[in-house]
Amino acid sequence: MKILVALKRVADPDNANKVKIPADGSTIDTAGLEFKPNPFDEYALETALRLTEDGTKPKVRDGEVIVVTFGPADTESTLRAALATGADRAIRVDANDDQLDGLLVAKGLKTLVAEEKPDIVLMGKQAVDGDTNQVGQALAELLDWPMATFAATIEEQEDGLVVGREVDGGVLELSIKYPAVVTVDLRIVSPSSVYSTKTDRSFKYNEGVRFSPLPAIMQARRKPLDTKSLADLVDDTGLKINYLRFEAPPARLAGVKVADAAELVDKLKNEAKVL
Amino acid sequence: MASSALFTLENPTEEHHMLRQMVRGFTRDVVEPQAEEFNRRAEFNRALFKQCAELGLLGLTVPAEDGGAGMDLLGAVLVHHELSRSDPGFTLGYLAHAILFVNNFYHAANAEQRARFLPGVLDGTRIGCMGMTEPGVGTDVMGMGTTAVRDGSDYVLNGQKALITNAPEADIFLIYAKLDGRMTTFVLERDFEGLSTPGKTPKMGMRASSLGEVIMENCRVPAANLLGEEGGGLVHMMRNLEAERLTLSAMSLGIADRCIEIMIQYAHERQAFGRSITQLGQIQRYIAESYAQTEAARALIYTVARDCGPGKRNRIGTDAAKLFAAPVGKQVADNAMQVLGGWGYCDEFKVERFLRDAKLLEIGGGTLEAHQKNLTKDLVKARAQ
Ligand SMILES: Cc1cc2nc3c(=O)[nH]c(=O)nc-3n(C[C@H](O)[C@H](O)[C@H](O)COP(=O)(O)OP(=O)(O)OC[C@H]3O[C@@H](n4cnc5c(N)ncnc54)[C@H](O)[C@@H]3O)c2cc1C
Repeated sequence: MKILVALKRVADPDNANKVKIPADGSTIDTAGLEFKPNPFDEYALETALRLTEDGTKPKVRDGEVIVVTFGPADTESTLRAALATGADRAIRVDANDDQLDGLLVAKGLKTLVAEEKPDIVLMGKQAVDGDTNQVGQALAELLDWPMATFAATIEEQEDGLVVGREVDGGVLELSIKYPAVVTVDLRIVSPSSVYSTKTDRSFKYNEGVRFSPLPAIMQARRKPLDTKSLADLVDDTGLKINYLRFEAPPARLAGVKVADAAELVDKLKNEAKVL
Repeated sequence: MASSALFTLENPTEEHHMLRQMVRGFTRDVVEPQAEEFNRRAEFNRALFKQCAELGLLGLTVPAEDGGAGMDLLGAVLVHHELSRSDPGFTLGYLAHAILFVNNFYHAANAEQRARFLPGVLDGTRIGCMGMTEPGVGTDVMGMGTTAVRDGSDYVLNGQKALITNAPEADIFLIYAKLDGRMTTFVLERDFEGLSTPGKTPKMGMRASSLGEVIMENCRVPAANLLGEEGGGLVHMMRNLEAERLTLSAMSLGIADRCIEIMIQYAHERQAFGRSITQLGQIQRYIAESYAQTEAARALIYTVARDCGPGKRNRIGTDAAKLFAAPVGKQVADNAMQVLGGWGYCDEFKVERFLRDAKLLEIGGGTLEAHQKNLTKDLVKARAQ
């Protein structure tokens, strides 16, 4: 089993330096930001690792997990963190964020898929910065591959995957054949949400993504990390989506103190109109 | 505060950054939720210790070719720093194993001993401790009473060690004893005849680690368990004390970082006389001075950590780091308690535990007075040369 995981870094919301927008609203000021992997992409990597192992032997990889990101040179630290977590090798497509849109990333991935021939392309359902939720769907269309989005559970079968998707009022299960594109949702990292054919159904993973063991952190630099240029992958690197204006959300207003429950109910009913 | 950025004083390389991210996540998700309970039960959490082993943290300073992770002393400092934000008690037990036993053992041992003992202490099946202190001697280590005599191809040890972290549950003991009046290091194992560890010594803080005595009564130790050479003990002890002082300082820093977080959050939300207590000058002094002192401790500890390791001795720097950082940890925890008022004194807000834990760092691994004495001696000596 060979899995390609697309990974994007996003601004770390816990860092003191927040995203800033200049007065003219023309762009996003990324100076001083610290980055971390998009959480949904971290879940995609965890999913890929679970699909290529016996859960009781997480140090032994049965198959290959390749992580890819589109970004400037300093995104290599995001890739090396993924290598430390368990991915086998990494590819960085050199590009700046403002030279990219969802479709362009999908086109770049399409060429990489042609080169790498993975059985599955995995990624987060969306990146938490732009929230565009496009790349997985666009890639499946470009490849003409089956697609499952918002995966909450995955079970490996001989020739494909059974994917559970949480929808209004229940769980939708679908069976897709390899090769396929899958985007994952938050519940995919629950203790019994992903099973490879090697992992016994009684096995329970720890909640969330795994920690990178220190020896793997020290080895990460020795794993292969290739760089490609965007122009090598895509002929037309023009943007199809142009951002017109950025605006910060309105600042949160100060709260009010209510005297008693009756006043609270009154405000909820008549001011907030939520009751 | 406590930046996670790449390439800072605290994270000189990408590996340090990744290690910090990992230990921070592990501390938040796994260490924090168990801290209260094991403090109350006054027990060392063996399952948590085993998880540290799985993450490769028990042999972090042991080179990769010997089964460790090959991290430097700064890496060890950052692990103790991050773990102590949640659980200094557990961290002390971890330190007694990873630094007092494993790090010490590794540098003193020969290839055969490394092959024989490292696997068990690196995978967490065996827990280690180090015995220097005795009921009658602490600071004055050269006055220790534990003796070793040669008997055929064995050594026979007699004496008593006290205040030994992990002794009650240890499987393997690094013991200093005097052989012909010269300090010598031995590895003792739990099943050696004549070795016993009666009971647990109750204590004020650091309750998630255990403390106890090690008694040797005609305890026979095979020659293969002599570490290094006869009379080599002093070098082992002095070398390892540098790593010990720095990792202990890092624990004070972790305590201070956490207590600042707690006091700022509380002060921000707490109202008195119609306004936030952060508007009160006296509260501002607690918060601002805690922060400034903590940042100074951080700068000192990490600067010294870069300049210390197996190939670079730094007695003055490590003494200075612990002399400065230990009172900062205690003072900041005390400041936090003052800012929280009566709630700080109650268990719920955790600072009472951090304050009890913080006090140990002014005593263990060298008292403040011992650091003052050694620093002055070394500084005068350096000047006289
Ligand atoms: C929780 C805990 C864990 C510990 N873990 C370990 C362990 O794992 N292994 C181990 O070997 N030890 C351990 N210790 C022991 C610790 O290292 C000693 O307590 C410490 O070295 C001080 O020795 P002492 O308690 O005998 O005090 P003493 O040395 O008897 O000191 C008593 C007082 O006299 C002062 N004093 C002594 N000599 C001088 C001097 N020359 N000049 C000025 N003042 C002086 C001291 O500073 C102190 O104030 C631990 C202690 C504690 C409390």
